[in-house]
Amino acid sequence: MRRSAAFTITLFLFLATAARADAAVPTPQATAAKIDNLLLSEIFAGKRQNLSSKVDDETFLRRITLDLIGELPTPGEITEFTFDPDDAKYSKAIARLLNNKLYGRNWARYWRDVILYRRSEDRALLSAGPVEKYLEEQFNTNVPWNKVARSFITAKGSIRDDGSTALIMAQQGRPDETVAEISRIFMGIQIQCAQCHDHKTDRWTREQFHELVAFFPRVAVRRDGQKKPPVFNVVADDGPAFRRANQANRLRGTPEHYMPDLEKPTAKGTLMKPKFFLTGKQLPLGTRDQDRRAQLATWITTDDNVWFANAYVNRMWSELIGEGFFEPVDDMGPDRKPNAPKALATLAGAFVESGYDTKWLITTIMSTDAYQRQSRDRRKGHEKPFAANCPQRLRGDQLFNALTTALGIPEGGNASTYLAASRGPRAQFNAGFGYDPSFDRTEVRMSIPQALAMMNSPLISRFMTAAPNTALGKLLAQIKDDEAAIVELYLRCLAREPTDKELKTCLAYRKEIASRNEAFEDLLWSLINSTEFLHRR
Amino acid sequence: MTHRLVRHSDVNINRRGQLHRRDLLRALPAVGLAAGALGWTDLVSLQAEELRKKGMSCVLLWMQGGPSQFETFSPKPKHKNGGETKAISTSVAGIHYAENLPQVAKIADELCVIRSMSSKEASHPRATYLLHTGQVPLAAVKFPTLGSIVAHNLGDDQADLPSFVRIGARFQNSGSGGILGVQYDPFVMASAGRLPNNTTPNTPEDRYRRRLGLLGKLEDDYQQQGGEQAVKDHQQVYDKASRMILSPRMDAFDIEKESRTMQQAYGSSEFGRGCLMARRLLQAGVPMVEVSLGNWDTHTDNSKRSKDLCGRLDQPYAQLIRDLKQQGMLERTLVIWMGEFGRTPRINPRGGRDHFAPAFNAVLAGGGVKGGQVIGATDAGGQAVIDRRVGVLDLFQTFCHSLGIDADDENDTPIGRSIKIVDGGEVVEEVFS
Repeated sequence: MRRSAAFTITLFLFLATAARADAAVPTPQATAAKIDNLLLSEIFAGKRQNLSSKVDDETFLRRITLDLIGELPTPGEITEFTFDPDDAKYSKAIARLLNNKLYGRNWARYWRDVILYRRSEDRALLSAGPVEKYLEEQFNTNVPWNKVARSFITAKGSIRDDGSTALIMAQQGRPDETVAEISRIFMGIQIQCAQCHDHKTDRWTREQFHELVAFFPRVAVRRDGQKKPPVFNVVADDGPAFRRANQANRLRGTPEHYMPDLEKPTAKGTLMKPKFFLTGKQLPLGTRDQDRRAQLATWITTDDNVWFANAYVNRMWSELIGEGFFEPVDDMGPDRKPNAPKALATLAGAFVESGYDTKWLITTIMSTDAYQRQSRDRRKGHEKPFAANCPQRLRGDQLFNALTTALGIPEGGNASTYLAASRGPRAQFNAGFGYDPSFDRTEVRMSIPQALAMMNSPLISRFMTAAPNTALGKLLAQIKDDEAAIVELYLRCLAREPTDKELKTCLAYRKEIASRNEAFEDLLWSLINSTEFLHRR
Repeated sequence: MTHRLVRHSDVNINRRGQLHRRDLLRALPAVGLAAGALGWTDLVSLQAEELRKKGMSCVLLWMQGGPSQFETFSPKPKHKNGGETKAISTSVAGIHYAENLPQVAKIADELCVIRSMSSKEASHPRATYLLHTGQVPLAAVKFPTLGSIVAHNLGDDQADLPSFVRIGARFQNSGSGGILGVQYDPFVMASAGRLPNNTTPNTPEDRYRRRLGLLGKLEDDYQQQGGEQAVKDHQQVYDKASRMILSPRMDAFDIEKESRTMQQAYGSSEFGRGCLMARRLLQAGVPMVEVSLGNWDTHTDNSKRSKDLCGRLDQPYAQLIRDLKQQGMLERTLVIWMGEFGRTPRINPRGGRDHFAPAFNAVLAGGGVKGGQVIGATDAGGQAVIDRRVGVLDLFQTFCHSLGIDADDENDTPIGRSIKIVDGGEVVEEVFS
């Protein structure tokens, strides 16, 4: 197996400092080293014995390519990378992929799923395309995370023109569900459990939840005429009460929020003032919608609110390392203890100092030893966290990309239309293979229909035959040598060369089968259906 | 006879999920099978009881869009709200259904009609979710749908067929396994006319098995390099999927295996074929089948459109009940007929009826339900429930009672909050007595 050259922190430091004019922001590499040291002392008592060793070049390249742009590296890229003698090739590869526009798209799709998997109804899927487009731009131009969060909280207007309306659209503008999602996604706090009764495990009260709802009563989602395909608008209404809002079909907001009386569901309930549960800061009744939501956004995204930075850092860490400081990623507290609290505080602190720079954070995490270790199965309860990277099941989009790349399938459909992201081939695939990215990954399991589709779907199988016009057919025509063809197939499907043992198995199988085409079709089928294909190691 | 035995001989079979070959051989003489009189269906139904944990099963006939109560089970011919629809007498003296359901009227002695269903949700997605899960939609928790609850409680994890099959057009918010996990998601079939998607290998069976063998060998390396558990989980699912599609029990999906007469009795409509397949699946040990019929959202021209929809419902529904009864399965099968809400008493200017949740119908049969009765009543114009209001939670409690599921059992959400299968409500005792 090929090994990368020694990994030198000092060189990284030099390169990174040179690149950054703003010396006040800690470099990713310096921060990464600090985090690794903290983990070593906080979790492993300074002992390295049980830590997984550093990953090999091929696995690293596949890992960062899937993590950054949601694709498999090409055989050309793999060869180039593994033979590159540069000591700094890891950080160079990260930087190269961060500049690929697919980077923004990959993470846009991730957050699209975070928001839309919790939709209250399927019409919210109309937001899939717009939110993807909006976030792609934010990530690619590196808009700070606090700005992105603010835009979702204060969004208004057509869901077609402004993707930041997606979070509100996903909950049909219902104030209670919308604020619950804002709290969950941007602060990792699930205060909605206090919706009906005081929280059993956390300290928030029902009243505090409804005070948070009171920032959103004037918001509603309304269909824009009878346009086809349908378009909805997020609207805000500062007028007087129109009539008692119909909770089922809420077409306009109400001036203020009333906490329902659980004993008397038909009564008007208690008038609530907008008040932020973390600080107790509040606004007077009668405040305009625009001011309410802007103020809430400010209070949530302020540097003093540690939950805001923690939520993003924890999520990204979990996504990249395979386990968060807190799990599940969207339920952090306030009365729960993280794995390695100092490491989390340090990383979150540095993220704030960076100005909520999302590219900075991803570079930092990818520069840690914790990220660059060989993966192991999810730890059992008694084992320590972060001793290895964890294999992650590919998300729907990543798997779709991997399949289309490995098999040379054209994506199909017009990806640029308003509805493509909710109705096109990719969306259909995602409906079958996607999962809610906020879920604890131990809960994400493959289903029988998924296995059946991978094995037998005529749509996929067509591209696994060695016909003259398929990628496999062309490969076999070009490469007459069996061993070379096997290696090429491995590179395409798993982004690595086969091990000696695998090569032997494949060649033995090839010998057994009279038809070369048939043998290779079977091999391709097996690689596509393997555990490894489905996971990023 | 010999060919049938050969057919079963390579099935790897366990106690509940599949037949043991030995069990099969033992079972044969007991029913005089040596005479060769029984077909495949009979072979599997021999042990259908064994295949389900508590022997109970459930069919949900889902009326997507919200059927009009006035045009189905609560005709009001004497009131202007009743429109043109007349009432007809049924096999039970004193109980009248709408004239649109002549066949169903003949089996009224098996049906328990609840005329006093009442809820607050009158938008399709929210009400569909509510009537499928017993909960209103919540961003934080994906509640399991009725079929998944049944599969989780009554299904056998080792079975070769899925525990929950959903047949019919897709509509939103009908729910899935949710917090119970993907293994309880419905196995969805868009149409009852052909085998479910992706259940036919693209290669002959021997080559398919060979491929599985190669796959197994190639997994070795990754298994030894940090992927032990991942490979194990993966192979488990692949084993189960392969077992399913190679199982002779897959015939349950093929209604062409039924006699002409039986097919004709159900009718050739999509819904009729779905109902017939439901019965076949139940016989093969599947504890939960959902079959949908739509679209009942009759905002315009309600009278004619409801009549047309009832025409598609009438024969298959009646035949399903009759057939289950004849096969001796009705006592152990709860058959539910319902939609997400009812329709407005007032007929709108376009001759339609709009969404109406305060008073609508649900109908139960089998599963210990006492047929030939009506529960609850509305006022003369059908505006409000005046007797025995039944809420959605009460209805779900009643389902659980019939199926022998403990409604108080708790399932955990991803953030560790425990949620009862049915969170409130009370069993409608009259349904069973």
